[in-house]
Amino acid sequence: MMQHFPVLAVMLLFLSAFIVEIFGAKSKAVAQGIAMIAATVSAGLIYALIKPVMIDGQIISYWMGNWAPVEEYAIGIGYEVDALSLFFALLVVTTFWLSGLYSIGYMNKDHHLGHYYTLYLMLSGSVLGLVMTGDIFNLFVMVEIMTFASVALTAFRNFSEGALEGAFKYLVIGSMGSSFTLTGIALLYAECHTLNMAQIASILAGGLSPTAIAAFGLIIAGFGVKSYMVPFHTPAADAYTVAPTSISMIFSGMVNKAGVYGMIRMIYIVFRAMDKGTVQQMLAIFGAVTMFLGVTMALAQHEFKRLLAFHSISQIGYVITAVSLGSALGLTGGLFHAMNHTLFKGLLFLTAGAVLKQVGTTNLDKLGGLSKRMPHTTICFLVGAGAISGLPPFNGFASKWIIYQAIYTKAVESGKFVYVLCTICALVVSVMTLASFIKVTQAVFFGQLRKEHENVTEAPFSMRLPMYIMALLCTASGVFYDFVNKYLLHPAANAALNISKYIDAMMGPGYAANARVSDMSVEPVAFSYWNPIIWLVLFGVLFIGAALVILGGRNERGQILSSSDPSQAKYDTFFSGEKEMYSQVGGSDLFWGFKSNWKGYYKFMEAIHSGIVNDYASMAVVGTAVICLCMFLFMR
Amino acid sequence: MIIVNYIASIILIVLGLYTVCTKKNLIKVVLGLGIIDYGVNMLIVSFGFNDGGTAPIYQMSDLLNGVSTKFFVDPVPQALTLTSIVIGACVDAMALSLVIMIYRKYKTINADEVRRLNG
Repeated sequence: MMQHFPVLAVMLLFLSAFIVEIFGAKSKAVAQGIAMIAATVSAGLIYALIKPVMIDGQIISYWMGNWAPVEEYAIGIGYEVDALSLFFALLVVTTFWLSGLYSIGYMNKDHHLGHYYTLYLMLSGSVLGLVMTGDIFNLFVMVEIMTFASVALTAFRNFSEGALEGAFKYLVIGSMGSSFTLTGIALLYAECHTLNMAQIASILAGGLSPTAIAAFGLIIAGFGVKSYMVPFHTPAADAYTVAPTSISMIFSGMVNKAGVYGMIRMIYIVFRAMDKGTVQQMLAIFGAVTMFLGVTMALAQHEFKRLLAFHSISQIGYVITAVSLGSALGLTGGLFHAMNHTLFKGLLFLTAGAVLKQVGTTNLDKLGGLSKRMPHTTICFLVGAGAISGLPPFNGFASKWIIYQAIYTKAVESGKFVYVLCTICALVVSVMTLASFIKVTQAVFFGQLRKEHENVTEAPFSMRLPMYIMALLCTASGVFYDFVNKYLLHPAANAALNISKYIDAMMGPGYAANARVSDMSVEPVAFSYWNPIIWLVLFGVLFIGAALVILGGRNERGQILSSSDPSQAKYDTFFSGEKEMYSQVGGSDLFWGFKSNWKGYYKFMEAIHSGIVNDYASMAVVGTAVICLCMFLFMR
Repeated sequence: MIIVNYIASIILIVLGLYTVCTKKNLIKVVLGLGIIDYGVNMLIVSFGFNDGGTAPIYQMSDLLNGVSTKFFVDPVPQALTLTSIVIGACVDAMALSLVIMIYRKYKTINADEVRRLNG
């Protein structure tokens, strides 16, 4: 009975997508009802798997049409749910269920809701299928459905500014990424003559040939596009900004997690390459660049949702760096942060959506003082902001703390300077995240209430309920981190590191032993939160990081920063006196001094984020080339 | 020679990438995506091809009597290619419809002018 649950959950979502299209076109309530019932049942089916998979340690395998392997050769399409898959599946169902709940209140003014729910169910079903499939071509098909549903949903409010443009860029970069993935899969098929991931893993256990390395590079680049790693991050910022907010939450909660899942599945299980120093360092550097670039771009934004989008990119950098370390501690931290990112970034997007719905704008320059009118939203936002900046009682602190420890331990063990830089980068980025959220809090919720917003009211209860749930989960997973570790993170990390069970569940017992697949033994990660020596060393590192930032900006001290351009008057030394009647530094521009000091950097960044689709495509090509080149130069 | 197919498909993929990266006309960008797709499809079909191979249709008696089954064309890549062609057609249709909508809204399909979301 149990083994039918995963495939039923996926099929139910796809089937309901078509039912909604047939019956839901006329009536809003019918469309909402069908979608919510499907989402609830599907989420229930996945939650029912927690006990057998996470606690009892079973692995559920299912062959479509009962095409079981013949003579140890996989022919049919298989679904396989181990703890790693289930961990991501839980994130996915939680996200889309809450997003569906939020959509009821949020989308009630939009037309053609039948189409919206069709696409919503397609997107949910594809991501759920992606994390549970055991067949690599099925994985690709799910990636493609995910990309299309995402593009169509990005353009759903096609009357709004930039929606079409964002969708088009997403489509171009996304389908380039899919093509890279497909090329990689084709090369892998040419090498192994099978599409089953368990069987590929056991065939590749003997060592990677050049063909397999090329396939590895291309597939990692393809999933990098889906997880919005840095050279591929450009469409994410646009798509998150212009999509309806319930969909932005799905993007940051499950679509980019699907990319992260693909990377973990490929690196740890299919290719077994996480013990290769090259792969580790390359991905750690990509992750560190991703977090730094994301947060610095976020500091410069004046648009609430775009700012959150860049933070989303930045937090994925943490996950990629932590996962790339190849240690049990790093993997645990990465998975924990992926989960927490789903929770707190979903929460933040929901508050942004509530502001957009009730006030009508998310431009930080035009907002202010909403805490008096929207107190519940403000409290939820503060919880989310505290969690993303890593303040202690919330979950962001727990996961970031493990990540710092993991990177630092790696730096000590391997003696590579790269990891020291990554540690400093992770700490500095966390500080800048806090700074950026202070800016948002000041610009949106505190400060003076604008005259035109006197009549703003609190968001309706159906929109607040998902926020409360997420705020509660953010706090609970931060306080009871031991519980989360024991029942979710440890089984998932264990599943990624011990693959012989995964292969045996799919291909029959004894298959992995015949193929000489080696396992890594994993100790449960102890959360040594308050180890004083590590604290001390971390503060030392933090001090050095802070010193670097301060010294880096020092060169202009003592000079008069005056500019002849009157629009730049706020960069003058005495801007608040004679020249301008009012100070131009609003809450939305709290860190103008920082931006002024880093003028060159920001000029460069603006040139990169030009908005021209050809530039973004070139960046994606260069990123892919760099990844493949790194693999070829250093892995052989 | 099957190697010709490999070279041709790599050339197609590179041409497609070049088109996407350099052409400013959005329709040409979409065509570039299509060309990448065709290259990849050709690569997959070539992987399963055997020179002089037959269709993979055998009766049980043939297999039991030991008729050589080594030289048939692998059917799996052809199935993959069909799926991939369908997906590619959807990409093109959807991208072109987006270009039409962009043209109506922006009155241009020059990539340099369709850049309101930047920075």
